[in-house]
Amino acid sequence: MEALEMFTSDRNADVYTEELKLNLGPQHPSTHGVLRVELAMDGEIITDSWCDIGYLHRCAEKIGENVTYLQFTPYTDRMDYLASMNNNLAWSLTVEKLLDVEAPERAQWIRALVAELNRIASHLIAFGTYGIDLGANTPFFYAFRERESIMQLLEKISGARMLYNFIRPGGVANDIDDAWMDEVSAFCDDFEKRWVEYNTLLTDNFVFIQRTANIGILTKELALSNGCTGPVLRASGVKWDLRRDVPYLEPYDECEFDIPVGEGTHGTLGDCWDRYWVRMREMIESVRIIRQCIEKIPPGAHMEKSMVKMYKTPLKPPPGEAYVRCENPRGELGFYVVSEGGNSPIRCRTRAPSFCNLSVLDKLLPGTMLGDAVATIGSLDIVLGEVDR
Amino acid sequence: MNEAGLHAKLGAAGIDGIGELDTSAKDPFVVVEADALVAVMTFLRDDPDCAMEMLHLVTATEREACIELAYHLCSYQHHHSFVVKVICPRPEGGNHDTWHPEVPSVAGVFDAADWHEREQWDLLGVVFAGHPDPRRILLPEEWIGHPLRKDFVYPSFLGDVPLELDATPMYERGPDWTPPSSEPRPAGEPLIQPPSPPSDRPHAGGQAPAKDEAPADAADTGKEG
Amino acid sequence: MEALIGLFGELFGLEGTLALSAAYAVCIGSILGFVTVYSMFAIWMERKVAAHIQVRMGPMVTGGWHGWAQSVADAVKLLFKEDIIPTRANAFMFWIAPAVVFCGVFAGLIVVPFAVGVQVVDLHLGVFFIIAIASIEVIGVIIAGWASNSKYSLFGAVREAAQVVSYEIPTATALLVPILVVGSFRLNDFNTWQAEHHWLIFHSPWLAMAALIFFISSLAGCKRAPFDLPEAESELVSGFHTEYSGMRFSFFFLEEYTSMFVAALLTATLWFGGFNLPFVDSSAWHPALAMPIGIVVLLAKTFFFIFVQMWLRWTLPRLRVDQVMSMGYKYLVPWAFVALIATAVWDYYGWGWLPL
Repeated sequence: MEALEMFTSDRNADVYTEELKLNLGPQHPSTHGVLRVELAMDGEIITDSWCDIGYLHRCAEKIGENVTYLQFTPYTDRMDYLASMNNNLAWSLTVEKLLDVEAPERAQWIRALVAELNRIASHLIAFGTYGIDLGANTPFFYAFRERESIMQLLEKISGARMLYNFIRPGGVANDIDDAWMDEVSAFCDDFEKRWVEYNTLLTDNFVFIQRTANIGILTKELALSNGCTGPVLRASGVKWDLRRDVPYLEPYDECEFDIPVGEGTHGTLGDCWDRYWVRMREMIESVRIIRQCIEKIPPGAHMEKSMVKMYKTPLKPPPGEAYVRCENPRGELGFYVVSEGGNSPIRCRTRAPSFCNLSVLDKLLPGTMLGDAVATIGSLDIVLGEVDR
Repeated sequence: MNEAGLHAKLGAAGIDGIGELDTSAKDPFVVVEADALVAVMTFLRDDPDCAMEMLHLVTATEREACIELAYHLCSYQHHHSFVVKVICPRPEGGNHDTWHPEVPSVAGVFDAADWHEREQWDLLGVVFAGHPDPRRILLPEEWIGHPLRKDFVYPSFLGDVPLELDATPMYERGPDWTPPSSEPRPAGEPLIQPPSPPSDRPHAGGQAPAKDEAPADAADTGKEG
Repeated sequence: MEALIGLFGELFGLEGTLALSAAYAVCIGSILGFVTVYSMFAIWMERKVAAHIQVRMGPMVTGGWHGWAQSVADAVKLLFKEDIIPTRANAFMFWIAPAVVFCGVFAGLIVVPFAVGVQVVDLHLGVFFIIAIASIEVIGVIIAGWASNSKYSLFGAVREAAQVVSYEIPTATALLVPILVVGSFRLNDFNTWQAEHHWLIFHSPWLAMAALIFFISSLAGCKRAPFDLPEAESELVSGFHTEYSGMRFSFFFLEEYTSMFVAALLTATLWFGGFNLPFVDSSAWHPALAMPIGIVVLLAKTFFFIFVQMWLRWTLPRLRVDQVMSMGYKYLVPWAFVALIATAVWDYYGWGWLPL
């Protein structure tokens, strides 16, 4: 009788299907870590979704209030662990703003150089894992091949492969030499050829375009209102890049580079393909910046003299607060630090780009299919270490 | 437009409770009354000269005398940014357990505020009145307390599960190992402590934070899973 | 088969039912052995193909030469692994599903002619039999997905049911095209026909089209990428076999690789000359020479198509579930029918295409 009622009940749908709750994660191959998305499914179609985050919460803000300013630098490495240099950079700039010091010129160029290298490495992961999300396993290995070169390059100057702690308040940990820069330019030459290979492999693939175009459309208004930044915002057609618009390092002011924005090439503006393609083109722009950095890097000190003295005792910035934003691979990373003159800040707030980008997910998923959910999560390119901090 | 211009523009909007611009800070800010917050935010977003499209960050900071909320806004059209602050003064004897400052939610103005405000409620216990979904975001629903408050005490229970704070590693715990005894925290001790007895705080256990925030919403929409 | 019965009669004096049973036992044993060895080889091959596409080396250590024993080592590992049945699963159904899945594909092999006389049963309806018996696999997959008591498994099973049942239409229709030309369902007749005339792929453009349609839809039938939606690692973890481990899991693997083999073998037999060499008339050869050469030729063709299947898998992204369906119903089914009707017209008028 129940079955009969099921079919005769007054419903608008042609076929009655029971709503199914599906837990996508926290242990799932394509949630890029420990994100949990609870999906209400009608067959293959998602009717509603709820993001659940916090599985990787490591109390970074609490730790920030209990360690000194310098000691917190390695913790920033572990937030967005794919772009540690950029995190170090944002934190160092914040502390420098609090202390009213500025890094020497050469340090600024080194910072830009390593930050752009790390941006390429981070976007390579985004590219590779996006292929895996869509069932193409091969691009991943190609991406990791090039990322390996970058990690080896950065290891040579910092001693670490992933979590560098290289950019510090006042400058950078070590100076770089010409031999290393030659290796970087060799890598750049190599990378530009490889980049064309990626496009033949994945970007122009018919199936790939079918899977990503017109999927997960993020309108400009929604992106702005939700605080999306970085490639996610640019893919929606907003030409905004802190490196160009609010140059926080000298090289970004002096170097020439374009800001790729989404154009809706294969579908609607702001779809998954646009987000993917913005990232791909940003890699090439980063190569351009690196080339110019190598060319123009000035001689000089790599660390501010006055800071070296300060390093002997814990840094004690004067009471005050500073908010600094930096263009990370995933968007604008901001640190809001409030000091009351002590050894450690009384508030160490992080504006994590992945956190804000992810908050739009619940609005993109309803109405799409399960496969599209995976494509959308992948195209937002989140790092859960940063979302949960 | 710089901060002074924005402040002048805001002052001319005819909203009550807008304070002076503090230009001594590194990022000049304006303090507004809590009641005026939503009107200020809406004005800053909608006025074509301000055009603050994006709410970057909502931060609550606990100080001796107050909890201070900072709203960082920025505009992509005009390349300027602005900081709005709300000060919630600490009442006499207000502490972690008794004092939960209340400010109006701006989630209706900026979608971005949704998750940021949830995080500030979660970690600092600031109540955002009128928030559409006032749940914890990073910590488990059963968590007791708001860890970024300076006088936060580590809870002894997570739901029904006792939390162990024993530093003995698993491999050194013999078969007779028992969790350390639970004793209340003496005043003035450092933060991380052995577990204290279960709290009887009003909104422990994942209930909605305040009565006027429609607690039924969180339970009824099936978001508990 | 008859030869085997006769052999048993001569050697051991077996007669009647006893001889028949013994002959069947030997045949089934040898096919089972073949399937096992083949699967191990195919898995090793898949790893190597994948690795070389992905700028890696693949297994290089186990067994010495290019890691040839890697699959053997894995099979031993899977045999010794704990067989986990989830607490809330339906244990009997969970237990029986891999067997059902494997039987369907395995049974298809008994009608395959590997060379002259190397065939267990020469059924009149050989092609029909393979298609029909392979459908049993779907039942096993649905049982597996339902009995696992996991939503991912259930999704995988439902996807499998929808996909395989839909793709059986273009598969079967495309198979009808060569059948129409040859006028028989018997697999051996395709070998003799192609030995006498020419390879069917060159018979007419419609035959070539039918071969393409069959190959694409057989990919979907084998759940191979880009149609691997029932498994869809990034969406459904592992689809219908998410909860399986150890030997039961490896049965699903055996099934996948065996169905790949059957699909590749059907392509080779029906369109690419079967066990006949190109440009060489082997019909007059002594059976002792024709048989091994036939087996080698057929296996070479089969492995070429298996290689193509692997090549596609490691190059293409996965389609979405509705795209798979619309591809099947909107493109493959109509074009398969076009090929069928066009072939009928083409052959009725006896048009030629290539000077063969």
